[in-house]
Amino acid sequence: MKQAAYGLVLYIFLMLPPVTALAESIMAIHMHMQMPLFVIAGMLMTPFFQKKFPNLFSKWNSNGIPGIILFMIIVLYWMLPRTMDEALTIPAVEIFKFVSLPFLAGVPLRDSWKKLETRVKNIIYISLSAIFGFMAWLYIASPNQLCNNYLIVEQKTLGWGFVFLAACIFIYFIQTLFIDETEYE
Amino acid sequence: MEALKNTILEKTNKSLGVNAEDARLTLTYLSLAFIVLFIGGALGLLQGLNRAGLLELPVWLNYYQILTAHGVLLVLVFTTLFMIGYFYASLSHTLGGLLPKVRKMGWVAFGLLVTGVVFVVTTIIMGEASVMYTFYPPMQASPWFYIGLVFLVAGLWVSGIGVFINAASWKKRNRGKHLPLLSYFAVGAFVLTLLGSLGVTAEVLMLIPWAFGWTETINVMLSRTLFWSFGHTIVNVWYLVAVSAWYVTVPKIIGGRLFSDTLARLVVILSVVLNVPGGFHHQIIDPGFTQGLKFMHVFMSLSIALPSLMTAFFMFAVFERAGRKKGAKGLLGWFKKLPWNDVRFLAPMIAMIAFIPAGAGGIAQTNNQLNQVVHNSLWVVGHFHLTLGTTVVLTFFGVMYWLIPYLTKREMTTKINRLGIIQTIVWAVGMLFMSGAMHWVGVLGSPRRTSYTTYGDNATALGWDPYLFFLAIGGSLLFLGVILMVYIVFNLMFFAPKGNTAFPIAEPEDNASVTPRWTERWGLWVIVAIAVISMGYVIPLVDLILNAPPGSPPFKTW
Ligand code: HEM
Ligand SMILES: [Cu+2]
Repeated sequence: MKQAAYGLVLYIFLMLPPVTALAESIMAIHMHMQMPLFVIAGMLMTPFFQKKFPNLFSKWNSNGIPGIILFMIIVLYWMLPRTMDEALTIPAVEIFKFVSLPFLAGVPLRDSWKKLETRVKNIIYISLSAIFGFMAWLYIASPNQLCNNYLIVEQKTLGWGFVFLAACIFIYFIQTLFIDETEYE
Repeated sequence: MEALKNTILEKTNKSLGVNAEDARLTLTYLSLAFIVLFIGGALGLLQGLNRAGLLELPVWLNYYQILTAHGVLLVLVFTTLFMIGYFYASLSHTLGGLLPKVRKMGWVAFGLLVTGVVFVVTTIIMGEASVMYTFYPPMQASPWFYIGLVFLVAGLWVSGIGVFINAASWKKRNRGKHLPLLSYFAVGAFVLTLLGSLGVTAEVLMLIPWAFGWTETINVMLSRTLFWSFGHTIVNVWYLVAVSAWYVTVPKIIGGRLFSDTLARLVVILSVVLNVPGGFHHQIIDPGFTQGLKFMHVFMSLSIALPSLMTAFFMFAVFERAGRKKGAKGLLGWFKKLPWNDVRFLAPMIAMIAFIPAGAGGIAQTNNQLNQVVHNSLWVVGHFHLTLGTTVVLTFFGVMYWLIPYLTKREMTTKINRLGIIQTIVWAVGMLFMSGAMHWVGVLGSPRRTSYTTYGDNATALGWDPYLFFLAIGGSLLFLGVILMVYIVFNLMFFAPKGNTAFPIAEPEDNASVTPRWTERWGLWVIVAIAVISMGYVIPLVDLILNAPPGSPPFKTW
């Protein structure tokens, strides 16, 4: 439960106006720092919800698949250039961001992950790194400004951030194939 | 069968003491380390005397040559040699001997390091590399200087991979067991070293063609940024090496127990994951980064203080418990029960105490406004002679009093203990004078990396002289400390009486909780570290590359 409290503190901190203003002023920080931190805040708060609503999770997310699909949908949605723009200009979308990333992505991710079979986990690793790779290509190669609010050079920076994220996930995935954790335990 | 053989091997190793071949490897590293300390210390003394206006250096060996050699030899070479020697001995002791393959890698690394040092020192003496240990372009050294650096980095890599191989092989043979804590520190320190060396390797590979004249210009800001991703990280590696001795050996020496195995491992993980982007706090005054970015890096930098504060908490808890076990009463009674007259405790203890002002100064200067006051002044030199020159180095000295006798199957005499206490006090007092004077005169505006000058008898500059005089007194005491320490090390190596010295490894408390398994998931931690590094570096690097001004041609300012 201590974790849930930390998650709540992080959640509130991220929503403080000066913090959002600073985080959203740089495109790469908006997408690669603020948004993942919202997801992490949600993951930290998960035990609270699992304790409060045990039936909800066992009924709707018994094998983890619905949860992980919800997670993927939310993540994909927030990767579109258009949604970033709208979060900056339309308050309702900004609020949706504050709600969706922790509670519709972070919570289901943590609840699902332990329930998933290795095969499904592998699919998630591969598709996430592929999607990030595609986003990298999109943001680096696009000759046009994709967001009204961010310059082209920021867009390219974000693209390189995606290169590293895709690489991290992929290397981690490869590592799980070669290093059998149980062998070392 | 294999496992049985290995446990037997480990048992014999523990009762018979160190494997002779492993001991020879470490002793070679340590001997060279202390020879390097002697040379570097002598150069430091010359600098101190020059800055006080007491000594004019000849043209053929000027201040900047000496300063470059002092910096490289002490911050890079001495520390590297010590780390490899110490951790290879730790692996040998805690993992039941080095694998023959790994021992060979240790020797190869030694050869690479020596080659690198020869290149670097030769070019400095020839006056072709007075670029300081930071080798910032557009100052350009001889290409052979940079090639020497490549050898040094290669030596670090080979020794690091050796550590990983030995640890992995132990884990395979000991399923379900945690890597012994000291070896865990070794793995963490080398992972951090390798991560930190990526940027500088890229930088040096750009500098070499530029120094040969194959490329005309160099991206100055990019080079500085890549340098500090390394320079910052490696200093934190030295700190982690010292911390490993505090956690694992000091509690044993004072008759206490390990405070918490989990907490110690968490400190290692946090240090590895959070460290590299801290490099930006060396570039607070650099142009080319936006204000918002610099602001964010203040947090990055402060987050590194977290593991340090955890360490302080841990150590004081250990001291208090050990003191109370010996019957100490009252709030601070345990303080008196500590073995102050045992140099194996006194040296690391003073090292830890020095870290209190050193850490406070560090937290201060990582803030933009305060940094503007002290940037490039002697304050900064005072700061790292406390962190590195005292906290790290005194801990290294403290380790020598048991590590060398352990390796040579000798015993420290009470005479050497007494001499060691004198050495520690000389060092502490010398540093109090030198570093204190540097801090103060730095705030008054005296710049670092500047040989003696009164700026045409300018009144402000003349006002620095009394402080610089104290700096020279401190420097002289420190050199006395260096002589004593080198004497002690070689005395323990060759002349101390034969006997048995144990490798002090603290036991966990009887009611200690089990260490969680996530501490062993290095695959995950390395990936997290890479993710944090890319979060810190992608934005400025892309900006520095895509919006680069035309590069700079070389300059030879000396
Ligand atoms: C005998 C002991 C020592 C003395 C007298 C001494 C003295 C000095 C002085 C006077 C400076 C130059 C200040 C300037 O002009 O900027 C300096 C720089 C430096 N010292 Fe020491 N020092 C000693 C030991 C150490 C040790 C043990 C270390 C590290 C392990 C160390 C690391 C450095 C570094 C990294 C620099 C900066 C070089 C540069 O700015 O490029 N020193 N030292
Ligand atoms: Cu630093």
